[in-house]
Amino acid sequence: MNNQPDAPQSTDAGASGDIQAGRYYGRGIPYLPIAGYPGKLIAIEGTDGVGRSTQIQLLREWLEVKGYGVVETGWTRSPLMQPTIELAKSSNTLNKLTFVLLYATDFADRMEKEIIPALKAGFVVLSDRYIFTALARAGVRGVDRLWLRNLYGFGIAPHLVFYLNVDVKTLIARVLAARGMDFWESGMDLKVGDDIYDSFRAYQSKLLKEYASMADEFHFRVVDARRSIDKIQDELRKQVAAFLEPEATLKSEG
Amino acid sequence: MTFSLLHATDFADRLLYKIIPPLKAGMIVLADRYAYTAFARDATRGVDRQWVRELYSFAVRPDLALYFRVPIDMSVDRLMARRVKLKFYEAGMDLGWSSNPVESFRLFQGKVLDEYDRLVDEFGLEVVSAVGSITEQQRVVRALVSQQLQINHVEIPDEQPA
Ligand SMILES: Nc1ncnc2c1ncn2[C@@H]1O[C@H](COP(=O)(O)OP(=O)(O)OP(=O)(O)O)[C@@H](O)[C@H]1O
Ligand SMILES: [Mg+2]
Repeated sequence: MNNQPDAPQSTDAGASGDIQAGRYYGRGIPYLPIAGYPGKLIAIEGTDGVGRSTQIQLLREWLEVKGYGVVETGWTRSPLMQPTIELAKSSNTLNKLTFVLLYATDFADRMEKEIIPALKAGFVVLSDRYIFTALARAGVRGVDRLWLRNLYGFGIAPHLVFYLNVDVKTLIARVLAARGMDFWESGMDLKVGDDIYDSFRAYQSKLLKEYASMADEFHFRVVDARRSIDKIQDELRKQVAAFLEPEATLKSEG
Repeated sequence: MTFSLLHATDFADRLLYKIIPPLKAGMIVLADRYAYTAFARDATRGVDRQWVRELYSFAVRPDLALYFRVPIDMSVDRLMARRVKLKFYEAGMDLGWSSNPVESFRLFQGKVLDEYDRLVDEFGLEVVSAVGSITEQQRVVRALVSQQLQINHVEIPDEQPA
């Protein structure tokens, strides 16, 4: 323990280091051994409004037609934590550290109750956002990165991590066309811009940098998300097929 | 794991709003339970010991940490005497070690006490025997606290000249 509550420090790497797909990043959950589980975990990451849900919806339909059992999981969707997190967001009183821990609690709940049981039962788990969103958001708010990686050491390294990469300009156009800018997605709590537009632009630029800085460390498969919905989906399907059915893919190409 | 993080979230909130501000103002903060409770409880529930310690690395290290130690049998007896209804989680009922709440409590809290014993050395907790009377315990506590605060003239009734 140290005397700096805002900048926790740690000496032991958790979620970084040697990464093996389908295994815990760090110290894991000792009472839940997961080795040998037949399911596959696929994470779709990307910043707010980039098009994750759209891609997951299409991917799910395609996988189901192919006969796979699919389970979807998403950020702050744990029945336990969602009301608390929504409340905290609306009242705007939470400290960043408390926020980080609330998100981690939500994630832990979904790990234990949704993700691990689904992997055990052989499902393909599609995760709309994964720990990287949490790492990026906390990272730009100055929370110690090593501490964060230890915190998420109970997460499972996905078999595939797709990162939907976009530039701020494209993102702004997409978000404005779809639904407008939201307080939290604009990082208004950080006071980085005068109005919501400036704030969104500045905050999202920082977030994108933060995501990009994790690409190598966590083996992101970077997908150019500036393209059309169909083009992106084609690429995702190709890569997922090559992973799930390497032989069939080889035959159809050869 | 979820349980552990839920407690950590609550702890962070308490630390940032109730503990750090008075410390900054130069006040003395008395905390009934601290991170050590989490270390003992979470390890007993099967969470990785090192992970929990790192999780709580944002906490302030106390100037003095008192551990009131009591044998498990006495702990069970005291609870029974007060006829309190054992809480489901406090008795570790969710772990399924025993369907009898008292037996489950004995097994679970027994392991928690073992974990506390590890913490005594690791974090230099001051052990206060909680076997004796409240007065005896309080005498020990006051001695430890005054030592810590460098107070020399504390009133400890039976040490005063007649
Ligand atoms: N490749 C694309 N090109 C243009 N528009 C897109 C593209 N992908 C998604 N959109 C549109 O952008 C909007 C947001 O898409 P979607 O809801 O899938 O994003 P998201 O990443 O899930 O957002 P959120 O962060 O809010 O969950 C929708 O209106 C969608 O139709
Ligand atoms: Mg979405």
